[in-house]
Amino acid sequence: MARSTPKHTPVRSYAIGFFLSAFLLFSDISYGTFAPLRSFFHASALYGQMVSISFFQKITNTFSSIQNNSSLLQENKNLKEEMLKIRTHDFINSLHNEALIQTNNFQEDLIASVDSQNINLLELASIDLRNYLCCSTHRVFLKTTNSAQVGKNIPVFAGKSYIGQTKDTSMNFIEVILLSDSKHVLPIKSKLFYCDARGAGKPMLISCKLNNNDNDSKNQIGDLIFTSGLGGVFLKDIEIGFISAIKPFLFDEIEIVITLKTNPLEETIYGIVRKEQDES
Amino acid sequence: MKVSNHLIILATIILGFCIDELLNPLSIKLFLDLNFGFLIFAYWIFAFPERLKSSASLFYGLVIDLFFSNVVGFNMLFFVATSYVIHLYVFRLRIFSYLQLSLFFSGSSTFYIACKYLLLSPNNYSYLVLIVSFIITAILWIGVYFSLRAFRRSVFVKL
Repeated sequence: MARSTPKHTPVRSYAIGFFLSAFLLFSDISYGTFAPLRSFFHASALYGQMVSISFFQKITNTFSSIQNNSSLLQENKNLKEEMLKIRTHDFINSLHNEALIQTNNFQEDLIASVDSQNINLLELASIDLRNYLCCSTHRVFLKTTNSAQVGKNIPVFAGKSYIGQTKDTSMNFIEVILLSDSKHVLPIKSKLFYCDARGAGKPMLISCKLNNNDNDSKNQIGDLIFTSGLGGVFLKDIEIGFISAIKPFLFDEIEIVITLKTNPLEETIYGIVRKEQDES
Repeated sequence: MKVSNHLIILATIILGFCIDELLNPLSIKLFLDLNFGFLIFAYWIFAFPERLKSSASLFYGLVIDLFFSNVVGFNMLFFVATSYVIHLYVFRLRIFSYLQLSLFFSGSSTFYIACKYLLLSPNNYSYLVLIVSFIITAILWIGVYFSLRAFRRSVFVKL
């Protein structure tokens, strides 16, 4: 607050003001002297009020229309997002349905092949592609759940045939050794021979060495190969592939190269047949 | 004082009377006659006694009479009278406590209301209105005082 030294307040100017005001008040109350002037100012004030109200109304309308536009734009955006979500959802659903159909078909094939209802269907988690394409170790990993515990050396189906057998289970993943792994041995048979076919270490190939006698020399490329069931792991008479090459190995032996029926790179659903004792 | 400063002060007084016009129809049901316009005028006289003389009070009163009153001269009269009283006792008022200031300005406001009723609307004169208005105005004065002081310090820096 402003600070100043006390000064004398001249009463004259205030007295003039006071009496002037009193006179105006008296004349206005008694005779309505300033009624037209007052009316003019009141009318001006009202006019100003109306103008300001209409001005504010216009501003409000402008803002509300902008808000409406922005809300419409927002709604449009929301609807677009919703449509996109529905489309994506439908696409995923259709894919899921296709996968379900494939799975059901595979399960039906599997049931027909092995003549058993005790089948666990598992999804592919990963395939060791680097080794599969170049080297002799051919493994795939399947996703499992705690409820579906699977032991070792259980045959694994994919497509319409065997593809390998379980090797190990860890942290909900089942390691499957493929038939083409060089460490895998599969008892097989054809119309003319029985043998233990070893994985060739090349994709989809296993090989078998036979004595070059008269009977074995009658094998022809394209002959179908089946499991013999002799190892006690695989069921017998399941078609696993066909002879794709016959090569002389030593002076009295030949190597029969068998191309497997199922390509693991094309399969995503794998089936494992539970043994009877596993069910209990 | 510059004309612009007078206009700012007059604008705050007009704002006070506008608030009164808006709120009084509601507050009168509670026997309360608000008088922000007069309180604001009184504050400015109290804050700038050396710069707001009788002519300024007369002018402010005339403008308020023309826009807000039913008669010309009423606010002029009271503004000049209040201005004179404040000028006379301003240095005494400055050593008053907030409570004493509240009572003084609330009393002035109540006197203004009483005269307004007696002169312009004697049928509605009520002691209850005066008592309630006195109490409430004493409370409101604190808010008016601090608000206008903050406003004055931000706007009238060089004064």
